[in-house]
Amino acid sequence: MSKQILNFIFLYIILLLAQVLICNNVCLFNIATPFVFLFFIIRLPIQISVNWMMTICFFAGWVVDIFSDTQGMNALACLVMGASRGKILDLYVPRRDEITNPIPSMKSLGIGVYLKYMLTMVLLFCLIITFVEAFTLKNFWLSMLRAVGSTLFTFVLLLGIDGLVNTKNEKRL
Amino acid sequence: MRNLIDFLVRHFSWFVFLFYLVISCFLLFQNNPYQQYVYLTSANNVSASTYKAVSNVTSYFDLQSINQDLHERNALLEMEVINLKRQLNDYKILNTTDTLALPDSVASNFTYHFATVINNSISKTMNYITIDKGEVDGIEPEMGVVDQNGVVGIVSVVSKNAARVISLLNPNMRLSCKVKNSDSFGSMIWDGKSPYYAILEEMPRHIKYMKGDTIVTSGYSSVFPAGLIVGTIDEVDKSRDDNFYSLKVKLSTDFTRLGTVRAIKSNMADELKTIESEN
Repeated sequence: MSKQILNFIFLYIILLLAQVLICNNVCLFNIATPFVFLFFIIRLPIQISVNWMMTICFFAGWVVDIFSDTQGMNALACLVMGASRGKILDLYVPRRDEITNPIPSMKSLGIGVYLKYMLTMVLLFCLIITFVEAFTLKNFWLSMLRAVGSTLFTFVLLLGIDGLVNTKNEKRL
Repeated sequence: MRNLIDFLVRHFSWFVFLFYLVISCFLLFQNNPYQQYVYLTSANNVSASTYKAVSNVTSYFDLQSINQDLHERNALLEMEVINLKRQLNDYKILNTTDTLALPDSVASNFTYHFATVINNSISKTMNYITIDKGEVDGIEPEMGVVDQNGVVGIVSVVSKNAARVISLLNPNMRLSCKVKNSDSFGSMIWDGKSPYYAILEEMPRHIKYMKGDTIVTSGYSSVFPAGLIVGTIDEVDKSRDDNFYSLKVKLSTDFTRLGTVRAIKSNMADELKTIESEN
């Protein structure tokens, strides 16, 4: 158990550094910014209670905020994402008690469900952060395009990270 | 009473959610860019030292182009020195009897501190820059920051060894500017679209503006000395209310590659502030 916690902390630090040092400076076609640290939230074990989930998500987002001077934006988006994860899982997983391995992955959830779950979470995050950042509906379609662009970009990167993190006994895409 | 406790227990996660929601909204909407806790910005110890370590490596990447810029600037300044020397000589000959000297208050009005940019963003709605000099090196809030090409921003939060600068690419920052060699001034604001352009608003309509005219700081605030280059006019637009022009300005500073910057300290800033507050 404690080894798992250490693993998660290590994963978070790596993702945090990748986010603030590399990904924050990327802006593909002035539209898409990747948010790779979301991988940490996506991988959090399913059996964590929703209160802990929200707490962890909030602080995970906040640390990114502090590094990138965005003051509460990532924290808010992560919070909503963490709070609604249970509902998103319910959408795709009919019987949650059948899952043996608590960490969401391609093996434990199945490829289709896992990809849908990941895409929904990332889309939710990107929608919130884009509209909170713009804080106006003036350029609604531009913001929408940015949210969708960021979602797709992040999704592709997360698939790549998934391939890197998974150990040899897990399924890959 | 039992019902109440029951209710609280059943909806406990909603309260947790609301609690964090309030914190994040509070962080989002505390709208004063100058007064924030140092710990919550990129000027704090951990993030500043991380950015410093990485910048030690990445700062080498842009050296060639920055060097090129410096050479050009150097040549320009050399030309100016030569011109001024010639003018000075001419004047010396004109009034040999008159002992004309520059008053000290004009000459030593501003002091400079050099700093290196360790973190920079251009793609967000509100952009900030982190520099590697802080309180120890004499950086203070509300100092102006320039690089070899033009105006960069204003220092907002200072910690011991680092400082956060509000970039010109931030709607919170307004810069008082004027067209070079004229007295009409307006305020410059970034419209959030491209890191290469900003909008100069509230320019009087009775003056003709030409594409390519130089925009310089007005010097009406004590943050920047007058006459620092900001950019050139790219497009002239009528404002919505038709009483003023707004000009699209091509910024002379290339925010995509900032290296060494200078923080300007106005020695008269405190004096001016007390005088202005007395009114």
